[in-house]
Amino acid sequence: MVRSIAHKEFLSTLRDRRFAVLSLLMLALLLAATLVGRRGYATLQAERALAQETVNEQFHHQPGRHPHRVAHYGTFAFRPRAALSFLDSGLDSFTGAVVYLEAHQQNSVNFSPAQQAGSLIRFGELSVAFVLQTLVPLLLIFLCFGAFTEEREAGTLRLLLSQGITLRQVAWGKIDGYGLAAALVVVPALGLASALLFSSEATAGSPDRWARLALFGLGYVVYFFVIIVGAVVVSARASQSRAALVTLLGCWMLGCLILPKATANLGAGLFPAITKAQLDAAVHEEAQHGINGHDPQDKRAAALKAALFKKYSVSDEKDLPMSVAGVTMAEGEAYSSRVYQQHFADLTRTYERQNALSTWASLLNPYQAIRPLSMGLAGSDFAHYVHFQQAAEAYRYQLVQHLNGLQASMGYGDKERRLDAATWRAIPVFTYQAPPLGWALPQLALPTLALLAWALALSWLGMRLVDRSTTG
Amino acid sequence: MPPILEARDLRKEYPGKLALKSLNLQLAPGEVFCLLGQNGAGKSTTINLFLGFIAPTAGAAYINGLEVARHPLDIKKHLAYIPENVLLYPHLTGLENLALLSSLAGFKYSENELRDYLAQAGLPPEAASRRVGTYSKGMRQKVGIASAVAKRAQVLLLDEPTSGLDPKASNEFSELLQQLSGQGTAVFMATHDIFRAKEVGTRVGIMREGELVDVRPTAALNANELEQLYLTHMQ
Repeated sequence: MVRSIAHKEFLSTLRDRRFAVLSLLMLALLLAATLVGRRGYATLQAERALAQETVNEQFHHQPGRHPHRVAHYGTFAFRPRAALSFLDSGLDSFTGAVVYLEAHQQNSVNFSPAQQAGSLIRFGELSVAFVLQTLVPLLLIFLCFGAFTEEREAGTLRLLLSQGITLRQVAWGKIDGYGLAAALVVVPALGLASALLFSSEATAGSPDRWARLALFGLGYVVYFFVIIVGAVVVSARASQSRAALVTLLGCWMLGCLILPKATANLGAGLFPAITKAQLDAAVHEEAQHGINGHDPQDKRAAALKAALFKKYSVSDEKDLPMSVAGVTMAEGEAYSSRVYQQHFADLTRTYERQNALSTWASLLNPYQAIRPLSMGLAGSDFAHYVHFQQAAEAYRYQLVQHLNGLQASMGYGDKERRLDAATWRAIPVFTYQAPPLGWALPQLALPTLALLAWALALSWLGMRLVDRSTTG
Repeated sequence: MPPILEARDLRKEYPGKLALKSLNLQLAPGEVFCLLGQNGAGKSTTINLFLGFIAPTAGAAYINGLEVARHPLDIKKHLAYIPENVLLYPHLTGLENLALLSSLAGFKYSENELRDYLAQAGLPPEAASRRVGTYSKGMRQKVGIASAVAKRAQVLLLDEPTSGLDPKASNEFSELLQQLSGQGTAVFMATHDIFRAKEVGTRVGIMREGELVDVRPTAALNANELEQLYLTHMQ
């Protein structure tokens, strides 16, 4: 019986010219967003790979130099885009793409696409995720708002029920039929995305990316299920089609526009984050308490030197087996790095608190459940960004400490000497390995559970409301 | 012969309004009962109570011996309902509409069988594959009748079925009802059409303000007498 109703809804929907026009438009948008997103991804990826290769070569081809000069010359780490970020660019457009790695200084990741784009990007990009999260629900609302009200107004609901079926069976049949119609719009785009992924040599053999894509698709299946069930339940309870449409459009505005902004603003108000300048100033201020390797008058540097004299039972720097400057630099770097890590962790915690407020709102709003889930699976959320930042900082620290070690090993009078150019070619360059799905999943537990809770609650409570609705 | 449709002290009240006052009625198989009355007299309420769409305040309705309120789904296997305006689904063809209604009633028919049912109901063969959105009201009524026949309904509940039909379509509809009656289907028809009631009914009832005030066999009255009787009760 449910299947018969589903078949009827599917056929009726396909033959409805209004739906045909709207769904073709939506399909075209999705396909365009997929292709444009993939092209943009490929361009950026190629640019960043080329830039990374260039700076790596420049680093390796430095002439014979003092290691600390190499540490100040530094290098750059370019963030490669996640393979699925062409479907959901998430925060990628607003977070930086490149960080300058140098001694004594933890620089922020800069040059986001938004910085280099026009102001129109503030209105949002046309990404697959934007269409799926915001526009497809509108299509579903226009598809489903008359599910019961139109049947009631036409008297066909009584005709159906007189055949010996229940309101609940009618509702499930309609949900099934509308789901099939929605699949006609969404599946080709996800199929194209799969084909594009499959055609890429870099990603074709990666089970992690396929698993991410599968969960990405599954997440949207649940999201659309929630929208369709919600719309059918509202239609069942509404007295007129117009009332159902107005109610559903109100829910869409609240869920997709108002609540996300309200919770983001509330989060920023409740957990204010310091600016980059404030962070830099705080780190600089606290780092003053550590050793300054460039200041020969620094008391802590003098104490370290004295400790080395004592350890090696010498009274002259010339007799030490290492360069005091190199050891002092290493100590100073370790201290300033600890200070930075602490401040960075505090700042990250503040952002996480702001994000957590929005994520908890997913219990009130399915849009705020699918958004972090989608970004997280696409590898373009805040957690993935922080992962890159930490990987870049870890590399910077290792690189600088390696160079400080080289300096220390040069012994007394190192400032007057240079190390051979081959030394720099032996240093490993920055390579970034994005975290696997297993790393991302625990962080996506709340939005996943919220989305599933929405699906279960609407299936249970919504169907009880349908049972109690009128036949007209 | 046990009644196929029965009302025992059937009563329906809404807050501040008595919609149906203790209805007692029995219909035998093959009988055509026409219920006359003004708008708001309680005719549609009676049909809704037999369909189980609303719950009675007191008393009970029975279809084929089953109490409607206790067996709301089972009783629908025995009855078919045709509303005043059978809109059906305009984007589906006559065949697809009939296939849908039959499958919901638990019957799966081949396309030829469905065409036969539509032809029996008087639908032109070329219309069966056309979308119902292009049908006249009379043609949609025929699809409704075809669904009742395909469902093998023992009771047919009709709510103002000839309202808005042209005389030819109305006459064809009457003939169909008589055929079904001849095959043993009991028909309960709410109508304003006194002359159609006289033509197809075996009994006629007059309802006023929720009360069945008179029931007569149609054979005992001619059309004019029935009209006079109706007008007398409506005064």
